[in-house]
Amino acid sequence: MVEVRLEGVGKRYGSVVAVDKVDLTVADKEYVTVLGPSGCGKTTLIRMIAGIIEPTDGKVFIDGKDMTGVPIEDRDIGYVFQNIALFPHLTVENNVSYGPRARDLPPEEQVRVSRRFLEMVKLLDKMGMLPGELCGGEQQKVSLARALSSGSKLLLLDEPLSALDSRVRVDLRYELRRLAKELGLTTIHVTHDQEEAQSVSDRIVLMRAGTVVETGTPEELYTHPKKIFTANFIGETNLLEGWVLEIKDGVSVIELRNGGKVKVNQSNHPVGDAVVISVRPEFVFLADEGMRAKVTAITYMGTYWRITANTEDEEEVAFDSVTYDENLLTIGREVYLAVNPKAAVLYPRPEDGVQEAIKLE
Amino acid sequence: MDSLIKAISRKRFRTGWTAFIIAFFLFFVILPTVYILSYAFTNWGSIEQYVLNDPAMLDLIIDAILASFQIAAIVTVIDILVGLPMAWMLVRKQFRGKALLDTLIDMPLAVPTAALGFSSAIFFAVTPESLAAPAFALNMVTSPFLLIVLLHVVFSYPYMVRSLSAILVQIDQTYETAGRTLGASALSAARTITLPLFRAGLVTGIILCFARSLSETGGTMIALATMANSGGFATGPTLIGDWKHDLGINPDLAAPLAFVSILLIVLSLILLVVIKLVIMKVHLPMGRIWPRPEKLFSRGWFPKTKDGLAVFFLVVFVLIPSFFIFTYVGSVESSSFDWGPFAESLMFSFLVAGVVTVIDIALGVPLALYIAKNRTGKLSEVLDVLVNVPLIVPTAALGYSLGVFWTGQNIIPTYDVLLIILAHVAFTYPLVVRNVAGAVEEVDPAFEETARTLGAKPVQAFRRVLYPIIKSSILAGAIMAFTRSLGETGATQAVVASAQTAPVYIVNLIKLQTSSGYYTAGLACIVLIIVSFMFMLALRYITNRRAH
Amino acid sequence: MPDVKLVGLKKSYGDIKAADGLDLEVKDGEYLCVLGPTGAGKTTLLRMISGLLVPDEGQIFFDGQDFTRMEIEERKAALLSQTYALFPQLTVEENIMFGLDIRGADEKLKEQVLISMLDLVRLSGRSDAYPRELSGGMQQRTALARALASGADLLLLDEPLRALDARLRISLRIELRSLVKTLKMTAIHVTHDQDEALVMADRVAVIREGRILQIGTPKEVWDEPATPFVANFVGQSNFFTGEVLQSSPFTLIRTPEGTVLKGRPSELVTGTTAVLGVKIGNTDISKDRKGYLKAKVERIIFEGRNLHVDLMMDNGQRISSKVPSWRKGKIAPGDVVDVYWEESKGTVFPMPPNGLENELKVE
Repeated sequence: MVEVRLEGVGKRYGSVVAVDKVDLTVADKEYVTVLGPSGCGKTTLIRMIAGIIEPTDGKVFIDGKDMTGVPIEDRDIGYVFQNIALFPHLTVENNVSYGPRARDLPPEEQVRVSRRFLEMVKLLDKMGMLPGELCGGEQQKVSLARALSSGSKLLLLDEPLSALDSRVRVDLRYELRRLAKELGLTTIHVTHDQEEAQSVSDRIVLMRAGTVVETGTPEELYTHPKKIFTANFIGETNLLEGWVLEIKDGVSVIELRNGGKVKVNQSNHPVGDAVVISVRPEFVFLADEGMRAKVTAITYMGTYWRITANTEDEEEVAFDSVTYDENLLTIGREVYLAVNPKAAVLYPRPEDGVQEAIKLE
Repeated sequence: MDSLIKAISRKRFRTGWTAFIIAFFLFFVILPTVYILSYAFTNWGSIEQYVLNDPAMLDLIIDAILASFQIAAIVTVIDILVGLPMAWMLVRKQFRGKALLDTLIDMPLAVPTAALGFSSAIFFAVTPESLAAPAFALNMVTSPFLLIVLLHVVFSYPYMVRSLSAILVQIDQTYETAGRTLGASALSAARTITLPLFRAGLVTGIILCFARSLSETGGTMIALATMANSGGFATGPTLIGDWKHDLGINPDLAAPLAFVSILLIVLSLILLVVIKLVIMKVHLPMGRIWPRPEKLFSRGWFPKTKDGLAVFFLVVFVLIPSFFIFTYVGSVESSSFDWGPFAESLMFSFLVAGVVTVIDIALGVPLALYIAKNRTGKLSEVLDVLVNVPLIVPTAALGYSLGVFWTGQNIIPTYDVLLIILAHVAFTYPLVVRNVAGAVEEVDPAFEETARTLGAKPVQAFRRVLYPIIKSSILAGAIMAFTRSLGETGATQAVVASAQTAPVYIVNLIKLQTSSGYYTAGLACIVLIIVSFMFMLALRYITNRRAH
Repeated sequence: MPDVKLVGLKKSYGDIKAADGLDLEVKDGEYLCVLGPTGAGKTTLLRMISGLLVPDEGQIFFDGQDFTRMEIEERKAALLSQTYALFPQLTVEENIMFGLDIRGADEKLKEQVLISMLDLVRLSGRSDAYPRELSGGMQQRTALARALASGADLLLLDEPLRALDARLRISLRIELRSLVKTLKMTAIHVTHDQDEALVMADRVAVIREGRILQIGTPKEVWDEPATPFVANFVGQSNFFTGEVLQSSPFTLIRTPEGTVLKGRPSELVTGTTAVLGVKIGNTDISKDRKGYLKAKVERIIFEGRNLHVDLMMDNGQRISSKVPSWRKGKIAPGDVVDVYWEESKGTVFPMPPNGLENELKVE
C-alpha cells in the first residue's frame, strides 16, 4: 500500500518560487502523470518526493509517513532519470543488481532479482555489456529494470522518454504502463509531452509556473477542460473570441469577433459576457453558413487532412477533413465553417488576453 | 586586410605555419630537455671514471635521488589523503565561506617556493642562533627529511586539490543520486560509483604532485640552509644546484652532474608511464557495500569531523607555513636593507618571466589549438604525450641538459640571459599548452563550424568566435607561466650558475647564515610574495568573470 | 537558391557506414525533410553538404557545379545545429548580423536586414540580450534568424526543434516553414520525428543505415511506402505474413491460417512469401461489418482525438488500430471484432531477406 500525499509542498530559491504550495494525493497503484512546460516546477516536485531536494514549505508523506528529513536512501523508491544515469563502469547486470547490493542481499539473491527484471524488459541477453554499447531505448529499459529491482512499490519517472527518438518513445511508453500495472506500482511520471501523458496515465496533473492548473483523467482534460491553458496544452484546439448574443433552451449563440455566429450547448455565461470558445479541429466542419474564412494551407496528416483558414480578423482556424475534394477546397478559397455545439467549451475571456493565458514560456 | 586574411587562409600557408610551430616545440623544448641522455652514449667513459668507480660519489648520488623519490612519494600520499576530502567539499557542498576557502587553497601558488622554503623552515624547524625565531613558531623539527616533506606538502597541496576538483566537477552527480535512490548511503554511493570514475583525475593529480616535489630546488635549498643542522642532506636537484655552482672550479663534476640529470630524467619518465598504467588498469574490488556502518559514517558528526580536519590541515600545515615569514620580519629588529642588488635581481626575474610568457603564448597557443582540434590524428596524440615531458622532468635536470645542449652547438650565440629564457620556456610552455588545449576541448566545435557555414574563413572563425571564449584561459595560462618562471630556482642555477634572479638571490643570502642575511632575505621574500600575490588575484578575477 | 544533387555519397568510420551510396536531388526552393532514426546518417549527410565533412566517395552538385571539395565558407549553406551554437559572447543582434559582417556588407543593408529579421522572428525587443538570457524557443528563433540573414541560399537544419518542449515544437514547426518559404530559400531539414516531417516538408526522404529508402511527398511516403521499414517508421503499421496468390488487380496473400488478405496491386511473384502492411490508422474494427479476420480487444487507450486499440488475433499475434474517439462507447476490452481495411491502403512487400523483425528494428 503506497500512497503519496503532498501537503502544501513548495520550494523557493531566494525570491524565485519554483513550486508554489502544491497539494496532491496519488492513490495506491495509481499511475499519475505530472505534465507541464519547461520551468513549471514538475521536476522540482518529483525531486522533493524522492528526497533529492528538501522542500521549503509543506510536507511529503509516503505510505502515511512524514518524509521530512528522511534521506533519499531510506525512502524506498525507484527513480528513473531523464539522462538515464546508468553507471558507465558497470555492466548491465551489475547496474541492475546495484539496488540489491546496496541492501547487502546475499549474492544469489542479487543475481536472481536482477535477472528477473532484465527478463521483464527483455534485455537478459545483453547483461554482460556495458551501457555505452547499448542504444538509447535499451539503456532506458535497463535503467527501468534497475529502478524496479530495488523492490520498491513507488516508481518515480523523471522525463524518462525525453532523450529518446520519437519512434522509440511511442513503443516504450506502452511498456512503462504495462510494467507498472503488472507489478502493482504506484507511479508518478513527469513529462512535457502531452501525447505521452494521455497514453500512459490514469490521471494527469497539469502544472504551470509552479502551481497545479487542473487535474483529471486524460479524457476529462481533453473533452471538458476547466481552464483555457488546459484546453490549449492538451491536444490542439481553436480559441475563438466573442460575446454571448442570446441564450435559448440551454444553447448559447455566440457572436464571434471574426463576424460569424456559433452555437454552443452551454448556458453558464449571461448575455453580453465576453467569452472564448475552445473547439478542437475534429469538431469544426464545412457548412453553408457560420464563420467566413479563407483557406491558407492543406496538410496531409495520414488519416485525415488538416486545413487551416484565416478569418476576417486574421484569427487562424484549423479543421480536419477525412477526405477533401480538390475542386472545392483550394488555397485561397473562401469557406464557411460551423462548430459541433456539443463539443465546444465556453470560457470567460481572460483579462490579459488569450495569448497570455496560454503562453508556454 | 581582406587580402591578408585570404593569404593566410590558403592551405599551404596553414600547413607551413603548423610545421613551424611543431618544429619549434620539438627543437627548442623537447630536444634540449632530454639532450643530456645522449651523454650516456658519448661520454660513457667519464661516467665510469668519475661516478661508477667512485663509491663515495655513487653513494652520495644514490642517497640524494632516493631521498627525492621517497619524499615525493610520501608527499603525494599525504596530499591525496587530505586533498580528496577538501576537493569533495569544494565541488559537492554548499556552505558559507566557500568562496573564501576556494581562494585560500590557491594561496601557496602565489608564494615563490624560495619564500615558502624560508617561511616553512622558520615555522617548523629548530633554527640556528643567528636566526631568531618569532613567537608561535613550532620549532620542533630536527630531521631534514621531515622538514622537506612538510615543505613540499605546502606547495603541492593546491595542485592535488585542483586536479581532483577538476575531474570531480566533470563527473555527473546524478550517478551518485541514482545510487542513493537505489538505497545506498552517500558514502557507499561515492565509494562504489564516483571514485572508480575518478581515475583520470587521480592520475593527473599524482603525476603533477610527484613531479612538482621532485623538481623542487630553491625552497629545499633554503629550508636546508635555514634549519640548525641539516648535516649535508641533499636531494637530486640540490645536488645539481650545488655542483653546477662549483663546476667552474672543478670540471670533474661534469660527469656526475650529467649522471644525476640522466637518472632523474629517466626515472621520472618511467614513473609517468608506470603511474598511468597502474592506476588506470588496476582492478578495484567490485565494491561490496556494508550498509549499516557506511550509513553511520554518512551522517551526523562523522562527515563534519572529516571536513573539519581537512580545513584544519589546510590552515596549520599549508597556510600558516606559507605566510609565517610576515611575522618573522615583523618581530625582528630591522637592519639596513640595501635595495640595490635585490631590485636588480627582481628586475631581471621580471624581464625573464615577461619574455618567457610572451614566447609561450605566441608559440604555445597555436600548438594547443593544433592538438585540441586534431584529437584523432596520430601526430597530435604523440605531441600530447610529449608536452608532458618537460613538466615531469625535474627542472634542475632540465636546466643542466638544456645548458649542455646550447653551449655545445655553434649556431646561436649563447648569452646567459638567453639560456635562462630558453630554460624557463621549456618548463612553462607545457603549462600554457595544456591549459589552452584543455579549454579548447571543452568548447563545442559547433560554434566554429556554424561560423564557417555562415561564411567565415578559419582565421575569422577563430578570431570572432573561439578566441573570445578561450581568452580567459589563455590569460590564465600566461599568468601561470609568469609566476612559475618568477619562482623558479633549480633550472636557473643549473643552466647558468651565476645568474641572479630574485629566488637565486634569496638563496644566496640565506646560505650566508648571518642574521642580517636572514633578515634581508625575509624582506625580499615578502616583496616577492606581494608581487606574485597580485598576479594571483588578477588570475582569480579573470577566471571568475569567465564563469559568468 | 540552388538545387542540390548528391550522387553516390559514401563515408565510413572504420566498420560503420555512415553514408552508403546516398543519392538525392533537392529542387530549388524546396523544403525537404530527411527522416530517419538516430544513427541513420542524417547528420553525416548534412555535414557533407555543408563541407564540414569530406565524403570518401561520391559527388555533391550545387546548381550543376561540382562542390564536393569546395571550401565551407564558399558554399553559402548555413547550418543550424541542434544546440543552436549561438555565439555566447555576442548579443542577439551581433549573432544575427554575423554572416553579413563577415561578408563586409554596408551599414545600411545590415540595418535593414536586422530590423526585418527581428520582426520576422518576433524578437524586436531583445536585440541586446545575450543568448544565456533567452528561453529555449527564443534561442531557436535567434539561431534561425542568424542563418536566414547570413546571405546563404541553402539552409541546413539539424534537428532544429529537438531541444524544445513538445508543445512548443508544434507551434514553431509552422512558423519555421513559413519563414523559410517567405525568403524563398532551399531547405534540407533533418529529423527523427515523423509528425514534424509530414507537416513541414514538400517532400520527405526516409534514410536508414546510410541509404535513402524512399523520397516522395508526405502523402506518397505515408500511403505508398517502399519498404516495411518505411511503412512502420512513418506512422505505425500492422504486418501480416503470407503466400502471394496474385498481384493484380489486387494483391492477394494467404496467411498460414488460410485467411486471404487484400492489398494494393504490386509486382510480386505468385508463390513467394510476402508481408502485407497497413497503417494502424487505416486498420478499422467493427462489430457490424465483416472483415478479413477477427481479433479480441485487449486494451483501449484514450489519446485525445483518437483511441488506440490493442487487439490479439486468434493465432496470438498482436495488432493495433486507431479509431476516432467518438466510438468510445461502442467497444470495450474483451469484445471480439472484425478487422478490415481498404485494399488501396494495404501495401504488400516481398519478405525482407533478414526477416521482418530485423527490418522493422528502429535502433
